[in-house]
This record gives sequence, structure tokens and C-alpha cells, in this order.
Amino acid sequence: MEWTRKDLLSLYDLEAEEIECILDTAAEFKKVSQRRVKKVPALRGKTVVNFFVEPSTRTRVSFELAEQRLSADVVNMQAQASSLLKGETLLDTVKNIEALQVDLVVMRHSATGAQAFIASKLKCGVINAGDGAHSHPTQALLDIFTIREKKGGIKGLNVTILGDILHSRVARSNMWGLLKLGANVTLAGPSTLVPREFESIPGVKVCHNLKDAVANADVVNLLRIQHERQTAGFFPGTGEYARFFGINAESMKFMKPDVMIMHPGPINRDVELSGEVADGSNSVILEQVTNGLAVRMAVLFLVAGCVKK
Amino acid sequence: MNLILKNARIIDPGRNIDTIGDIGVENAVITDPGKVTNAREIDLTGKVVTPGFIDVHVHLRQPGNTTAETIASGTAAAAAGGFTSVVAMPNTSPAADTAGAIEYLRQTAARTGVVRVLPCGCMTKNFAGQEMAGIGSLKSAGVVALSDDGKCIQDHSLMRHVVEYAKSFELPILDHCEDNYLAAGGVMNEGKWSVLLGMNGMTGAAEELMIARNIILARQFQWPIHMQHVSVKESVELIRKARAEGIPVTGEATPHHLSLTDDCIKTYDTNYKMNPPLRSEEDRQALLRAVADGTITAIATDHAPHTVTAKLVEFDHAPFGIIGLETALSVTYTELVASGMMALPEFVKRLTTGPADILRMKDYDLAEGKAADITVFDPEAEYVVDPSTFKSKSRNTPFGGRRVRCRNIMTIVGGNVVYEYGK
Amino acid sequence: MNGNKLFTAEDIDAAVEKIASDIGAEFKGDFSDCALVGIHNQGVPFAQLICESLRKKYGTAPLLGKLDISMYRDDIGNRLRLPAIKETEIPFDVNGSSIILVDDVLSTGRTIRAALDALTDYGRAGLIRLAVLVDRGNLEFPIHADYVGLYSTPPSDEKIVVRFAADGEPGIYAVKWENHNL
Repeated sequence: MEWTRKDLLSLYDLEAEEIECILDTAAEFKKVSQRRVKKVPALRGKTVVNFFVEPSTRTRVSFELAEQRLSADVVNMQAQASSLLKGETLLDTVKNIEALQVDLVVMRHSATGAQAFIASKLKCGVINAGDGAHSHPTQALLDIFTIREKKGGIKGLNVTILGDILHSRVARSNMWGLLKLGANVTLAGPSTLVPREFESIPGVKVCHNLKDAVANADVVNLLRIQHERQTAGFFPGTGEYARFFGINAESMKFMKPDVMIMHPGPINRDVELSGEVADGSNSVILEQVTNGLAVRMAVLFLVAGCVKK
Repeated sequence: MNLILKNARIIDPGRNIDTIGDIGVENAVITDPGKVTNAREIDLTGKVVTPGFIDVHVHLRQPGNTTAETIASGTAAAAAGGFTSVVAMPNTSPAADTAGAIEYLRQTAARTGVVRVLPCGCMTKNFAGQEMAGIGSLKSAGVVALSDDGKCIQDHSLMRHVVEYAKSFELPILDHCEDNYLAAGGVMNEGKWSVLLGMNGMTGAAEELMIARNIILARQFQWPIHMQHVSVKESVELIRKARAEGIPVTGEATPHHLSLTDDCIKTYDTNYKMNPPLRSEEDRQALLRAVADGTITAIATDHAPHTVTAKLVEFDHAPFGIIGLETALSVTYTELVASGMMALPEFVKRLTTGPADILRMKDYDLAEGKAADITVFDPEAEYVVDPSTFKSKSRNTPFGGRRVRCRNIMTIVGGNVVYEYGK
Repeated sequence: MNGNKLFTAEDIDAAVEKIASDIGAEFKGDFSDCALVGIHNQGVPFAQLICESLRKKYGTAPLLGKLDISMYRDDIGNRLRLPAIKETEIPFDVNGSSIILVDDVLSTGRTIRAALDALTDYGRAGLIRLAVLVDRGNLEFPIHADYVGLYSTPPSDEKIVVRFAADGEPGIYAVKWENHNL
């Protein structure tokens, strides 16, 4: 399998072989981070701009470190610092970035499709670091990488994604990636946050009851519950959420003993996930972070190889 | 110049006429062709002649956003599309909520307009849904209807009073039906595609709820309320039931809701963003049936020009609306007549007598002595839409590159040929 | 195979034997601090063949590693196609050891330059040698092979393609670049 895309926008766009190509490449980059010299010259002379039009710490740090370990020159731009506030359009801003002979733009934006919109107008490569509630391909890839590494494969696994699916780009990206690689996906959480429309996709089950959602799961991926959804009336409060949809020592009793507990972070301890389980032996949360670096190095490397000058 | 339109298929729904024949125009009125002198004779074999099309839903953007459209360019676009009269929505800047604003519109239209501009006044001041506008003064200034289009009065008590008051001035109401709570923050239809794309959805229930309210008020006060841009199948059912019961309500459908669905948005092309949004295929089919069976009596464009700059942004941030005057006939003919869903004479009603009835215009037809507002089109034409040929100042259309049937070839307003294809 | 056959399977076998003998002679049959590192793609099976031959001759053989040099190339973004990264495996401590890099064809020397950079990031080798099956003699870098099986200088518009028994149709071929899609 050869990689041929100058942009990574969404896992929905990719073939199963392309996803596997990224995962295989990531496996090699993971070894680089375990060496004495944790750096390769692959992107020497390339310039990468991390353009975050929505605040982010984790994803930005992970991308930045990945870029440095590939020897790229790195510039960070935040929305507050950029000229977007002065009334310049997004397209003008990124065209100005490109005019500085930048090779890759890693972008996060609150609007669905913002990266797809600019990628079609730029010669440089675009990597989606999260757009609205739509897509967060590198997060899903690192989740899938972690599952594949631990479970030996994806095909036939039962993966439950639990939480605020409606507003989650992580859930959507995981869903597409996992489906393409042959997993069974259950989307679960309060009925106001898990729309039934997802069941129109073959291979997806929607479940509004915790026990049914996780009892048969090989993997449970938990999403952060945001306080603003409570104020918008989607559910009564974090206490009730924890009681009916939180994962804790009690819920571990009706799950498979080797169930993998995942969370993209940051965790609301004792809301969607009890501290005990988060730190327990079923949890792979910190490995996800480690793998995120490898996956992002792989994506940067592959995409950079397809940006033509 | 006097005209004799020869050998055309004359479809005149107001008089139940569908025949091959000639029509004369002398001194701006329709005249017995045998008595017209010094006329330009035009052979229209194979072409169709109808009363001029009326669009009850157009945004001309003047005053306020003349970069996107002016009365001159918007009416030129109307002429190119076969429309001889357009109802100008009052959500300009400043809004058309005073007699002075209507006077400005009338004078500018008289000076620069190509087709007839029928003024529409706001129901509430600055269409803010808070205080009733000077409806009596607006009537005196010449408005033909009232609308807060773009917004919907949320306060049911205020709406009730507007309906009651409008009735005493005999002004029909054209309402944009949308519950703000249910539609809040939405940028597209709520359904499978909003869920897959992770975009904020606008549920069809937001429209259905306000249509139900309007039906109740129309029944209570026995005064017509017209539902603008009906988009969901449940709304169609409410209107069908109300009309069967004799409640004075009508509805319009736009060419885009009749031809496109929300799956188009997966391209993030902001020319698919409008309010109400593109709905599901099920809704589209229900709308097509409603236009065909007469539940919906008018096709209206909701022509909403926006500049390239305004639309070339993130989907979330783009303004709602697309232009439609120059593609309406072809797009709707293709969907409704070429597809075999409805007969041509019935289709012509939706562009002529249907809208005329909504505006309470009497006897809108081609009888001798009537003002010569005439549209001539070629039902056999087939072409690909090329937005670069548009008369509108804006290009925000999703129909560029679409293969369509039927083309307007001549538009006559008050006896003057204001548009002729190829000239 | 769509190309001009330069050498036969027997020629390959003889070349493997020759290189194994040369290596065996230099290291005097003691491979305790020695490792063969094959460069993807065809350097890997070639290194394996040398290893097997040494084991037959001496009853012992060097450790075997494999190296993908994609991350160290100097032409990322200039190539028409981006080949998939293969597995790198260096199962020994590079520091102080004697390493014989193994590749199928020595052409410009750029691959070897990248391989030397890559190895350096794993540690400070005591000694690095280079073994190649075919030397086509158009080096662009000051690099030479220490152990060479065969020599061939096909025209510059042809690529040398090596196929071992496991690949089917074993032999060494000269293939026009435009016909090459391996």
C-alpha cells in the first residue's frame, strides 16, 4: 500500500488499507521514540504550522513533539494570536501562511469542514487536528493503534463508545475507522446525546443503557462529559450522569475481565470514569498518549511525502 | 413597440385556456391580434406563452447590501427568469417597516427596475418581533403584503394581534415559520446527515410548530396566512388538512427544496446553506407531490443574493440563502413536468395564478385589455446552467453545471420586451 | 520478468558464496561481535542468504538485523510515490560492534548514506562494512562496497532488479525504468 494523499481530513475518506498503512508506519515511528536518539531527519527543511482556531493543549503538544522528532521547523499559531479577530477570513489567513512557503498546516477549528474547505484551496498539506463535532482523525488512529497493539487486531472486536456522542468528533472518527477495519461499534449514553440516526450505518448499534452497552465489550472508549451540555439541558447533572452512565469498580463486575478502558482525555474523574478504574490494570489511557505521538509522526511523514513543490 | 406573438401554445390558467394561437400587444395592453397595427411579429411555434410569472419571495438587498444585489440587477435577473412581478422582502437595511422606506423602494424601482416590484412591509418594527409596525401607513404607501421574513414572530400573542390588525387593512401575511428554540444554533437539517457530519441541526419540527400556530390563527380570524418556503413533509400534511377544512392558508415551495437534499452538505459547499435548510429525500418527495396536487399553490424562489466573499467561509459561518430567479423555471420544470409528475398547464398555475391568489390579485390572465405582462418559454430547451451568464450581481447558486430542461426566452412587462434570450 | 536477464540464479548463489567466504576470511570465523544488517527491500533476504552460508561454513553466524531507511532519505516530497515503511529491527547493541550493511544493488550510494545516518542513531558502531550483490558503478557519493558479488553497468535508463528464489523467476535483470513497478 502506498500513501497518495497530501491531506488527512477524515477517516471516512480513507480505505481500510490506507488506515492500516498509517498504523504500520506508526509502529515503526513508535520504535524511534524508544531509541537513544529519539529523532529522525525525515522532515528536515520542512516547515509545519500548527494553526489552532480552537484552544487545545494535548493535541497541540503531541503534534509539536511529533514534528520536532521528525526534524521539521515548527510554528504555533493560536486563534487569539492570529489576525482572525481583526476580521480577516479564514481563507485569507491560511493563504498568508502558505505564502511563507509552509509545507504542512495542522489545523483545529470549531466549524465542521473548515479543513476540507481550505485544503481544496491550498497546495500545502493539511492535517485535521479536529473540526467541530465532525472529525478528529489522529485521535481515532491512536485509539485504533492502541487497540490493535493490545488485542492483536480489530476485526470482530466489540467496541463501545460511551458518552456525549452527539457533540463528539472523537466518537465519529473512531466509528468510521473501526467499521472500516471490521469492528462492531456500539454508541452508548443518554438518549439526548446518542441520536438513533447512527443506526442507519451498517455495523453500528445505539444503546441507551449502560449494562447492555458494555457487558459484551472488548473495548470501552469513554468520552469527556462537558458541563456546557448540562446547562443546555441535555441531561440533569454530572451526579446523575455518573450514577447511570459512569464506569466504576461496580460496573467492572459486569464487564469482560480483559475489557480495555480508554479515554481521550482530559478525564473528569468520578464523572464518566472513576479514579480507581482510570488508574487500574484495564486502563490504557497513558499508552494512548504515548501512541498518539507515534501516530502523528506517521501521519506527518506520509502526508509530507505527498506535498509536491 | 406593438407585438404579435404568433403560433404559440397559449396557456392562460385564469381563463382555463390551453390552445395554439396568436396574442396581440398594443399600447401596453393585450389586444386582439387582428387589430394590432405596426407590430413586430414573432413566430413562436413550439413555444409557450403564459401570463407573466410572479415570485412572491425575493430579496433585492437594496437598501443595505447593494454589493450583493440592487433593485436594478435583481429585477434584471427576474426578467431573465421569466418573472414580471416580484414581491420584495422587507428585511433590507434599513428595514421596509415605514411608509418612507416603501416610498424609497417604489421610486427606485420605478427609476431602475426592469420588472414590477411589489413592496412588502414588515409585520414588526425592524422585523424584530417585538412591536407591531405601522401596518396602516404601510398599506397607504402601497405594500401588497406583510412579512417578517428571515425571522419569525415568537410571541404568539403579538402574532395574533398582527393577524387581526392586518385583516382590517386587507393585507395578506407571508410568514417565515420557525420556532427559535427548536432551531437554535442550527446550520442544516437535523437528521442522518447532521448526525454524521457533526453539525448543529434544525429540526423540521421548528417549522411544523409555527405552521400549526399560523393555521390556528388563520382559522380564528378567518384571514389568509401564507407559509413561506415550506420544507418538511409534516408541514405539507398540516396545510393539506387545513385547506381541506376551508382554513385560508397557502404555502410555497422553493426550487431548491424541490430539487436538492441535505446529503449535498457533505461537500461543505456553502451554496447548499439556506434557511429552512435542505431536508431529506422523503421531505422533497412530499413537497413535489404537494406542488403537483395543489396543496402548495406557488413556487417561490427565496432569491437571496450574497457576495462571493460572504459565502467563501467555513460552513458554520456562512450566511443562509441562495439566488434562484434565473434557475427557478428550468429547475422546477425539470423536477415536476419533465419528470411526468404534473401537466404543464397545472405547473404554469404555480407561477402565475397561484401566487396572484396569495396576493389577492383578481383575474390574473391574458384577457384583452389587461396589462401586457407575458412570459414566453421553450419547454423543449435543454442546457447546462452557467452562472457566469446571470444578470444577478451574485453567484451563490448550487445549480451551476446542472443539466436542466425548459428555458425562458422572452419576458414582456407592460408591453415592453424586457428580456429576450440571446439578445 | 519484463527485462534483460543479466545474471542467473546460479550466478547469485556463487556470489553469495563468494561474499560469505570474504566475510568469513576477514572475521576469521568469529562473529561474536558481528552483525549483518539488511537494507529493505532486497537487502534483507540477501543478508539472510549470506547468514545461512556462513552458518554452513562455520557452524556459527552473525546476528541479523533489518533496516528501513525511509525516515533518512534526502528526497522526501520529490519522489513520485512514497513507498510504505518496512520494519526496522536492530536486535543487538550497536555500540562497539562490527556491522556489515547488506544491500542488493549499489548504485548512487545515497541509500547507503541514509543507512549510515540511521545506524548512527542506534549507537556508535566499532566498524561498518558494506556488502552488495551487484555494483553498477555509478556512485554519486564517496562510498564503496567492501564485498561485491557481481559487477554490471547497464544503461542509465535501466534499473537493476534482483529476484531471489523466494520471489520466483530468480535472477538479476535490467528493466527499463518506465516498465518498473516492483
